Amino acid sequence: MIYTKKTPWTLILGIIMVAYAYMVQAGIMEPVIKYLHTSKLAGEMVILGYTCGIIAILAGLVQAFSTPKQGNFDYYLSTIGGLAFILIVAFIVKWVLDPQMSAWGKAAQPALGFNFASVMNLNYVVMGIVAGIIVVNVFKVPHWAENGVRMSRLGLKTGVVLLGVLYSWEELRNLAGLSVVLIGFFVLGSVGITLWMGARRNIPNSMGGVLSAGLGVCGVSASVAAAPVVNAKSTEIAYTIGTILLWGVMCMFLFPIVGKAMGMNYTQFGAWAGTGILNSAQVAGAALAFQPTGIETLKVAEIFNITRILFLPIIVLWLAVWFVKREQTGERVNLGQVMFAKFPVFVLGFILMFLLGSTGVFAPAQHYQGKYFDNSEKAMVKTDKDGKVTDKRLKDADAEKLKAEADKLQREDQKAALARLIQEKKVMSPDHDTLVRGIVNSKVLSKEASDILKKQHEAVYHTAKKIAMFRDIIAWMFTFGLTGLGMQITMASIKQAGGQPLVIGSVVGTLKAVGSLIVVMLFVSEIV
Amino acid sequence: MLKPKHILLASHGTPGARAAERAAFALCGPKATLHHLIVVPDFWKGMMGDDWLNNASTRDTYGRYVEGELENEVRRHIASLQRQAAKHRIRYRPEVVFGKPEQCLRERIARGRVDLVVLGAPRPKGKSGLRSYMVTEKLLRALHVPALIVPYPA
Repeated sequence: MIYTKKTPWTLILGIIMVAYAYMVQAGIMEPVIKYLHTSKLAGEMVILGYTCGIIAILAGLVQAFSTPKQGNFDYYLSTIGGLAFILIVAFIVKWVLDPQMSAWGKAAQPALGFNFASVMNLNYVVMGIVAGIIVVNVFKVPHWAENGVRMSRLGLKTGVVLLGVLYSWEELRNLAGLSVVLIGFFVLGSVGITLWMGARRNIPNSMGGVLSAGLGVCGVSASVAAAPVVNAKSTEIAYTIGTILLWGVMCMFLFPIVGKAMGMNYTQFGAWAGTGILNSAQVAGAALAFQPTGIETLKVAEIFNITRILFLPIIVLWLAVWFVKREQTGERVNLGQVMFAKFPVFVLGFILMFLLGSTGVFAPAQHYQGKYFDNSEKAMVKTDKDGKVTDKRLKDADAEKLKAEADKLQREDQKAALARLIQEKKVMSPDHDTLVRGIVNSKVLSKEASDILKKQHEAVYHTAKKIAMFRDIIAWMFTFGLTGLGMQITMASIKQAGGQPLVIGSVVGTLKAVGSLIVVMLFVSEIV
Repeated sequence: MLKPKHILLASHGTPGARAAERAAFALCGPKATLHHLIVVPDFWKGMMGDDWLNNASTRDTYGRYVEGELENEVRRHIASLQRQAAKHRIRYRPEVVFGKPEQCLRERIARGRVDLVVLGAPRPKGKSGLRSYMVTEKLLRALHVPALIVPYPA
């Protein structure tokens, strides 16, 4: 079968990207950039526009003038048009719609009394997914773009793999322990409740099997993996996947709103989203919707997501054994084969990148959350091109303000740390920094004094350039992947939500979301 | 009174469609031909949803499994009607297509000779079943042959 279609669109999209990059570089887009306040994004507009545009142009020329032969090259060539199509949508959303929506939110605030763009989290991640959903349901994904749209999941997988670089041993140890306990409890709990409810409502074992995998582990992906193992009927599959998609999309919008309303920190929200959202694709969406300008929440959420993904082969295997015991039609399964076939290989990539990151290849080895400690004069005092000097050491006026509030501190170690900061005009070591941050977290000092201390912490912790680059690439991978996944969520499939799966799904979905919220609010308070 | 020679029965496996099948057989005279259009609704195309974490082999297995399930359902459906047609000595011509049920039906009517179209009524509210409708306003406006819409079974 030949996959590559003769279409001028890949070439056209490539030309549009390159032309846009050129216009930004030449300053033609300056008025638009100024109006949208996107000058910070001009660099990525040029780099991404040229890089992706040139690739699309080359692929477009090959598509137009060559006769493809059956094989891998033909398949991958056929995906370039779709990938360019997703990118164009993502560019429009991130560089135009996102800043415009933010401006509209601010403009409407006096009339509405709240910033609708901020309250509803209408940022580029949410709008990217919504744009994808609109494209597939209103306009349809063009024929020539279908293979590329299906490839978008690689964006998410690559994002998760690269995310491994940003964790330190300390973070991973803290998060992994927490996630195994929480996910273990909620995965097994929801699988158990689903099977119990299914038995009470007399649903067939095949339906109970496919539904419990979807509701318990990681949504659509788990149902896809489990359906053939438990011999699910076509209507059972349709009901289950419709129900999970409906819940997933709903949760992606609701979770960030609730999280903000409850004043959750990044760790709490990441843990909640990673545990409580039924469908794993929407976990990243919700995390990025909650914190669009950073990836701390995403890092926490993805550890929880990876933990439950690791439960997938185990649960599928268990369901296979469970089904064989109950049904004569069930085929005996090869345990090793199921474990091997269902194991998410990309998690190994994540672990590999984490191990590479901890060797200090990308950032100094003692980095924490991608940041490393450096209080040398070279790092604290900088001179720009025009000769302007920026000194981040503690100013005399700020030192006086801190001195005036020193008596408020009760703990001797904190008193000593503050005195040392005032004397040395900078944080002297990571341990000293821990004590200074402890003063901020204790909320004993005034807001002004706390802000001065926060600035001193930021002055000695620096983000490695390579880590900053990884953050940008990861954010783009997720934006691209989620926009593409949005293009695979059809209303026709969501409409199939119904029957017993909708009833059981609603009960289990609500229990999981509310239960994990309570557990997270009670037991997860520290910022990891 | 209508004496159709070519009856087009359109169904995609719902209880309403099964009621239409019974009506179509009742309407078929001795020399009538029953054309049976079976539509596999195109929402199945989106039934992998936004799965992103399975590997290609798991997705292939799932795709083949769902295709197989749908194929078996259609095969059983055709075999059952074939038996009834043989019993009533009616010529039976099945045709399986994939797409939007309403659009597939309009295209089938436009393509070949049809004297009467027999359809099942849409599923009443509160009854469970897949949501894929064949009787739509668009279809009714486009029809240029008589149509019989059989009530949903009680």
